[in-house]
Amino acid sequence: MSYRHIYFDKNICNGCNVCVEICPGDVFAPNPEKGSPPLVMYPEECYLEGSCVTMCPHKGAIRILTPFPLRGGFLRR
Amino acid sequence: MVELKVIPIETDVLIIGGGLAGCMAAIKASEEGGPRITLVEKSNTLASGCGGSGIDHLWSYIPPIHEKMGYTLQDMADDHRLGMGNGFFRKDLFYLTAGTMYDRMLDLERFGLRFRYDDSKAPGNFRVVQQFHSVPATFNFDGAPIKIKLTSEAKRRGVHIINRVQMTDLVVTEGQIAGVVGVGTRTADIYFFRAKAVVLASGRSNRLGRHSNGIDFNTRIPSSMSGDGTSMAIRAGLPIVNIEFLSGRVLAVNAPKKTFGDPRGTMQPAGRIIDGRGNVLVPRTQFYDWETLEKEKWTPEVRRIWFEERKVVRGGAHQFITKSHKEGGGPFFLDFSEATDDEGDYIEWSIRNEGKGTQLMRYLKEEESFSIKGNALEYADFYDRELSGTAQKGVWVDKDLETGIKNLFAAGDEIGGFAWQCGPGAITQGWHAGAMAAIRARAQKGLLPVSEEAMRVRKEMCSRIINCEFGFYWKEVEIYVQNLMDFYCGDIRSEGLLRRGIERLENAKVAQFRAENPHELCRCLDVHSIIDNAELVLRASLERKESRPELEFRRAEYPEKDDKNWLCYLAVRKEGGELRFSKIPIES
Repeated sequence: MSYRHIYFDKNICNGCNVCVEICPGDVFAPNPEKGSPPLVMYPEECYLEGSCVTMCPHKGAIRILTPFPLRGGFLRR
Repeated sequence: MVELKVIPIETDVLIIGGGLAGCMAAIKASEEGGPRITLVEKSNTLASGCGGSGIDHLWSYIPPIHEKMGYTLQDMADDHRLGMGNGFFRKDLFYLTAGTMYDRMLDLERFGLRFRYDDSKAPGNFRVVQQFHSVPATFNFDGAPIKIKLTSEAKRRGVHIINRVQMTDLVVTEGQIAGVVGVGTRTADIYFFRAKAVVLASGRSNRLGRHSNGIDFNTRIPSSMSGDGTSMAIRAGLPIVNIEFLSGRVLAVNAPKKTFGDPRGTMQPAGRIIDGRGNVLVPRTQFYDWETLEKEKWTPEVRRIWFEERKVVRGGAHQFITKSHKEGGGPFFLDFSEATDDEGDYIEWSIRNEGKGTQLMRYLKEEESFSIKGNALEYADFYDRELSGTAQKGVWVDKDLETGIKNLFAAGDEIGGFAWQCGPGAITQGWHAGAMAAIRARAQKGLLPVSEEAMRVRKEMCSRIINCEFGFYWKEVEIYVQNLMDFYCGDIRSEGLLRRGIERLENAKVAQFRAENPHELCRCLDVHSIIDNAELVLRASLERKESRPELEFRRAEYPEKDDKNWLCYLAVRKEGGELRFSKIPIES
């Protein structure tokens, strides 16, 4: 199944490619256009551990919207 | 026609896998006196392996605490054999791990990780909770940056780290390791390493079944790990034990981390399990009262009570869930409403430091406005299966972690026969394997001569895949194998199903893959490893003629547990192209 859950804010991301370097699933590729957000090549190979977010030097440049099938069930009080 | 480049690299110590075990091996090998150390990682050591995005818990014998309790290393060994091991136990590996983890914790502290807290009343100001053993024996700590720290320590010591290379073949010269073949995951270059000693530390095979939530790579432990080490080891003639114990995780939540765990786990010391009507099925755990540390000594009665309390969540979850459903109790929730504010903060802090926990907490807070104290999280009774710590699957090693191939050592999850060694196993065994490999490398004058055959075969195979114009995308074959494993090698296994599964796996073995780029090529190599691991699981499941419910292993024709014949390690190895089985007794 393919899904889209990784979002770059092109106003914050400066294309430093730290996420490209560290991603354990090798999900990204550098953008051929220098300074632009990386390309999300294989979102379905994301392990959802979030290193790209935590290690990104520009807060808010990359965001994850948890894939819908993973929404939890809750008892709200 | 794409021509693949061959890159020859010579080194003294070569480490396969840059997770916790591989990094610790590299650091220790360099401390042992500096031959050339090369560490090869399929992803990037900064975020790879089970500790990739952090670890919040490490179990250990903790002398300053346990000596005061009157709890000995032997007491802990007995806990481990009976509890986590379900009767399976290797004393040598246990003592190496439990007996040295405290010293390694001091090393990790030296590397800049925080283990001590002013608010702690425990000796040493550690945060220690109960998890695997009948006394508090698990450090909680600020472990989120562990891989960043270990990478920088390895680099500082001159370790040559090569990221994005997937190792595929061991090359042996007259019974001794001489080289390893690998493939660049971004280049498709063929790497041909020669080394005097090698540490195998690649981890488990984590994509052996379909994922019931439809998000295929949302595995509990990293999906990038496909069991390449086991695949290499079996093809090199080494024995693998306990691989039949592929089993399900029962209590899990449908969220990024997936298996939030049980209230007896380290991450949620104030959690309890309730049913849909609010009945408490498993009461909350209490934090240890450190005031009583020196007054009330540990006794075997403490262990008895601990075992009793853990019955539900240790091996008994299936029965527990079935029984509760019959009584109208489901669904089930992990509930923290009894936690104090401090305990709630502690739980959040701990989860944030552990694996996918940072993402889980972010999801819960930002996307669901979840509060630890206010909401309960539902357990999904789905059933993704894995080779977990309970299975204790892996390559058989001697007491110094050497495999049947001279100068080839293994460490961490690569090793079989030791339950829930996890972080402590990786850290302590990595350290020991690194030391052993460095000593052997120093003692050996030159590199051994190597055959180029394995390298040539691998190059031809990769070349065929990347130049193929009409073939299967890797994921199609992976899903075929996963479906096959779920159907023929599921909860209840039988001779008929297993034999049919083995037959149908042949189709996957001969499937011609097609890859459009190096990334896809290496996913094809992942699937080759998954097929090798799947075959071992099927064949070993056929061989074990009993049921063993506490390891979720059930054979239809052999419903009873048979300790007399089967409380032993089942080893499988390849000899003359055939898989052969033997039993390895458990020492008393």
